[in-house]
Amino acid sequence: SEMSFEWPWQYNFPPFFTLQPNVDTRQKQLAAWCSLVLSYCRHRKLYTLDVMEAQESPVFNNKKISRKLSVEAIQVVFEELRKKGNLEWMDKNKTRCLIMWRRPEEWGKLIYQWVSRNGMNNSVFTLYELSNGDDTESEEFHGLEEWMLLRSLQALQAEGKAEIITMDDGKGVKFF
Amino acid sequence: MGNLFGKKKSATRVTEQDKAVLQLKQQRDKLKQYQKRISQQLEKERLLAKQLLKDGKKEKALLLLKKKRYQEQLLDKTETQISNLEHMVQDIEFAQIEMKVIEGLKVGNSCLKKMHEVMSIEEVEKIMDETQDAIEYQRQIDEMLSGSLTQEDEDAVLAELKAITQEDVALPEVPEEALPTVPEKRGGMNSKN
Repeated sequence: SEMSFEWPWQYNFPPFFTLQPNVDTRQKQLAAWCSLVLSYCRHRKLYTLDVMEAQESPVFNNKKISRKLSVEAIQVVFEELRKKGNLEWMDKNKTRCLIMWRRPEEWGKLIYQWVSRNGMNNSVFTLYELSNGDDTESEEFHGLEEWMLLRSLQALQAEGKAEIITMDDGKGVKFF
Repeated sequence: MGNLFGKKKSATRVTEQDKAVLQLKQQRDKLKQYQKRISQQLEKERLLAKQLLKDGKKEKALLLLKKKRYQEQLLDKTETQISNLEHMVQDIEFAQIEMKVIEGLKVGNSCLKKMHEVMSIEEVEKIMDETQDAIEYQRQIDEMLSGSLTQEDEDAVLAELKAITQEDVALPEVPEEALPTVPEKRGGMNSKN
């Protein structure tokens, strides 16, 4: 599946891996990087990124043209993503981050559509069941990490479409 | 649970039955995770047994297969337990639906009762009588009115009848010749019409 990912043209363009001084060019460059990071994470279903590991990942390291994005540049890209609401730091030292190539509200919508389609309103589910159950295997949100699932359900809860239930052994949710 | 921190919390829409179902589902999740673990172990052991046989360690391989067999039985038992839990969940969910149906019937029933209170039998009889009187009264009026118009109406009707008869469509002439006689066929077919 590594092969099936479509790299954008910039990826094979050496200057792409150096932060451009010209303001307009840099803006376009950063936008392209943000888009690339999000598409890649979406393709690989990555929900968290470790900065050190990211450096070596194919996204920031194009071995074919021997170019890699510097740590400083990676931080700049990540800051852009954070400003756009697609990234959240997990620690003060900015070593790990949550990557949201899909916003919680969008996940919530997908999940709710699945619930409605199957007539499951007014039913309760465990979180495990939603992300790992047999019934959701063909759904996009199958395999969603718990932190993201929780946020998506919280978004639905704010709309009155769900209520999160906390039990001793874990959490569940009721859809309306 | 009181508002300990003064936070405004809207009423929960989660019932006790929901919590019961959720607990059952959590148990089922645990069993499923257990199943996954055992399945993975089984796979590893199968490969290991193969390797042992290759190395000529037949006794060890046999022992491993026995262990594997026992785990497979556990797996089957787990599947049964999962079935039981799922049945229970479905029973509870169905019971909730039945409850809603009964509630619905109750509401419909009390509605019907209220409506019957409004329409007591005596009242209905009274209304029926009044209606009958009104119908009778109307009939008398109609008679009186129809009496004064009858002569005019009769003349108009007679005129219309005349007009229709004169408009008569010419019917085809009845044929003069007699019907041909059909020769006698055997078996008395002529008798059948």
